[in-house]
Amino acid sequence: MGNSKMNQNMMDKNEIERARKYACWLYSVPGIGDKTMEKLLALCPDVEQIYRMGEKLWQKALTVRQLEQIRDFARETNPEALYQGLLKQNIRFVTRTDADYPKRLRDIPDPPYALFVKGKLPAEGPSVAVIGARECSEYGRFVASGIGKALGEGGVQVISGMARGIDGISQDAALEAGGISFGVLGSGVDVCYPESNRELYEKLCARGGILSAYPLGTEARARNFPPRNRIVSGLADALIVVEARHKSGTLITVDMALEQGKDVYVVPGRVTDRLSDGCNYLIKQGAGIFLSPEDFLRDLWEGWLGRNGENKGTGQAICSEISDAMALQMPESVTRLSPLHREVYGVLDLQPMSLEQIRGRLSEEQGLQQLMLVLMELCMEKAAVQVSTGYFARRSGEGKFDKIHIEQLH
Amino acid sequence: MFCKILSGSVVGVLACFVWVEVDIDSGLPSFAMVGSLKNEVRESRERVSVALKNVGFALPASRVTVNLAPADVRKEGTGFDLPIAVGILQAMSYFPEDATKDILFLGELGLNGELKSVRGVLPMVRAAAAKGIAHCIVPMANAAEGGVIPGITVWGAENVSQVLAFLQADAEERREILTAVSVDAEALLTKQNSKGADFSQVCGQAMARRAAEIAAAGFHNLLMLGPPGAGKSMIARRIPGILPPLTLEESLEVTGIYSVAGLLEEGQALVTTRPFQNPHHTVSRAALIGGNSHPRPGIISLSHRGICFMDELPEFARSVIDSMRQPLEEHQVHLARAGGNLTYPAEFMLVCAMNPCPCGYYPDRNRCKCSETQIQHYRNKVSGPIMDRIDLWVELHAVEIDSLQNADSGEPTSRIRERVEGARNIQRERFAGTSYRFNADIREEDMERFCPLGEEEKKVMEQLYQGLQLSARVYHRILKVARTIADLAGEEHIRKEHLLEAAAYRPSQE
Repeated sequence: MGNSKMNQNMMDKNEIERARKYACWLYSVPGIGDKTMEKLLALCPDVEQIYRMGEKLWQKALTVRQLEQIRDFARETNPEALYQGLLKQNIRFVTRTDADYPKRLRDIPDPPYALFVKGKLPAEGPSVAVIGARECSEYGRFVASGIGKALGEGGVQVISGMARGIDGISQDAALEAGGISFGVLGSGVDVCYPESNRELYEKLCARGGILSAYPLGTEARARNFPPRNRIVSGLADALIVVEARHKSGTLITVDMALEQGKDVYVVPGRVTDRLSDGCNYLIKQGAGIFLSPEDFLRDLWEGWLGRNGENKGTGQAICSEISDAMALQMPESVTRLSPLHREVYGVLDLQPMSLEQIRGRLSEEQGLQQLMLVLMELCMEKAAVQVSTGYFARRSGEGKFDKIHIEQLH
Repeated sequence: MFCKILSGSVVGVLACFVWVEVDIDSGLPSFAMVGSLKNEVRESRERVSVALKNVGFALPASRVTVNLAPADVRKEGTGFDLPIAVGILQAMSYFPEDATKDILFLGELGLNGELKSVRGVLPMVRAAAAKGIAHCIVPMANAAEGGVIPGITVWGAENVSQVLAFLQADAEERREILTAVSVDAEALLTKQNSKGADFSQVCGQAMARRAAEIAAAGFHNLLMLGPPGAGKSMIARRIPGILPPLTLEESLEVTGIYSVAGLLEEGQALVTTRPFQNPHHTVSRAALIGGNSHPRPGIISLSHRGICFMDELPEFARSVIDSMRQPLEEHQVHLARAGGNLTYPAEFMLVCAMNPCPCGYYPDRNRCKCSETQIQHYRNKVSGPIMDRIDLWVELHAVEIDSLQNADSGEPTSRIRERVEGARNIQRERFAGTSYRFNADIREEDMERFCPLGEEEKKVMEQLYQGLQLSARVYHRILKVARTIADLAGEEHIRKEHLLEAAAYRPSQE
């Protein structure tokens, strides 16, 4: 009895694996995306049959152009070889029918038919998407790295698009803090885009995961990004927007997150900063405000525990222990320097300031050369950065939040 | 009858003596010219015969042969008209044989016999003086330029008849026929007055003013980044003023180049101010570094001992900018042409200006929406090897209204120049007996010798190296600039503050 059940399981497994090869082949055909996939599956739910029946079936669902592409693809590749190639690169192909397929993603209105996965898939625990402008300010950089670090330390999975700017910074900070992060790409999982994030890409492969709904070798195209964004928000329980211009791509992701019923949190900015326009607009529309990692994590855990039917009070009690400091602290090295150094450091902002602006804000008139020396010494102490020759800003690289004690949550 | 007349032309900026040999012999009437002649020289035949006819000397109905020796040097320029005409007249025995002895002739003839200005008179006269030739007859328009050379009498002539009369006269009468022109070069140089462009007119931009001062002191190349209207060109135009005035030797070099290029104004004796060249970004490679089938000095040679200011640097064609690599390294331009190799001096200070990004407002992220990639792409238009040769980078910010209004006008040009001269004197002493002239020239292997650091300073450099993540190249550039800053301060040793200040002007991209 037990034996036959095991056999049954084995057979099922083999069956599934076989079907997977054909699904993978079909999903890898250029020009065939989720919509076409649905059409084909509606005609015939068995992917192997779809492959075997060939043109007869295909022409019922595909356009002329797609037919050409699938014909070419069928001529050049076969499902077995394609799938083996995938495995050789340690890439998994997970379809919606698999148990591994992220539950959160399955629940969104238009989940992708399948995902190519390099590394791990997001686990059950809470996960948060951190998104924002590619061209971010020092302020955005600081906040994004702070959030990434807090989430990483707090055992929250960070989901993002591995883009330049906010995305990559938060993911990198999460990994650095020992957390887990997942990058969802608008290209194939074997294509690192942008190339400048190569190091992060490798780290994500090793310690988190790279996900994509696009076949291997797909180049990053502008039109791939909006569909990608729905996966980013779909994989998360909540979304944090760090910096966004008005009418930017980030806001599209926010719309998708709202459609999917996710909580949206926004990092507020100054009304004078164009890079915060999108965020402030969202606040006006009623988005949640990100005040501090502590505040955010409390909300997140409460929601999480609530949804998962556990005692609501626990989150509150535990999170009160999270000590917090969203302010930039004066590096210790600076406290050892002269009062003038400390004053100059105090005047500096995360936004770059020109030498003349800095000079204008000091209590006493300072000679240009004197001031420059002080600033260069601050740079040397890694307390400031020279953004370009005439501009200086506070260094945000090591945005310091105090250690977050969250172990008791688990 | 045969005779020979001394003349010459310039190859590059070097004088090359040419003997004009004329022979008139019985035979079928003809006029032949030989001796590796370029077109404009060959045309001389027509000009000379018509001009001579028009002043009353018809060519004899005999065989006239003119040879320009040495025959293997390519002759170019229009300066041979006068010596050819004189040679023919002598061969026709209009004046005694020894009348042309010890005289160098240069000049282009008009059809009515008048003498027109030619290029390269200064280098020719200079070489003649060095060779011990006593007299030189040149067109009146070029006489002043020749007249700055001591040890040779330069006669300015209006037309060929005057020259003939001069040659027929004896030594006393000669002074009444032609004017001996002599110019006191030293007086000219000290008399020069500034043209009203003064550093005190630059509002704010203290950092850029300081960078200009350092650049001038060590002859470092300078790059100014800043939004439109920040005053980049304004500062660039004031840099020649803070450089020490041209010395006589330098002035002669510069004037020589301008003379060869035909850019001296009529009657101008010397270039007395530091050159300032401002090529437009559509400039061609040949125009910038020189060359062409008729080789002339390019803009960088015209900037010799002065400034070549390239505004909107990324707009220049990449190949054009790249062609400056070798001249920036060797301070001269080598041109290899089918006709031979030429060398033009080109020791200039490169001052560049560009916007920090395509829109011009980076790093003000409120106004600048350029992506990192766009900025990188924009900056990459300028090739690395050129950027490597620019020691000082400085960022200008948009000028705010109050700095325009309370013009806390900076120091005047004269005061800055005093400091620059001080630093220059220190460099002259330091580099005596070496091939160097300025701190900017110091090569890596000589860093230890000229820019030694104390223990404490070495530690500072280490900290800088790590704190600012410098590369080895930038490290050396900081040392050179620090050397100049120390010189400006009159300090023998490079100290911490000099290093830090120099580091502030390091390139902001790698």
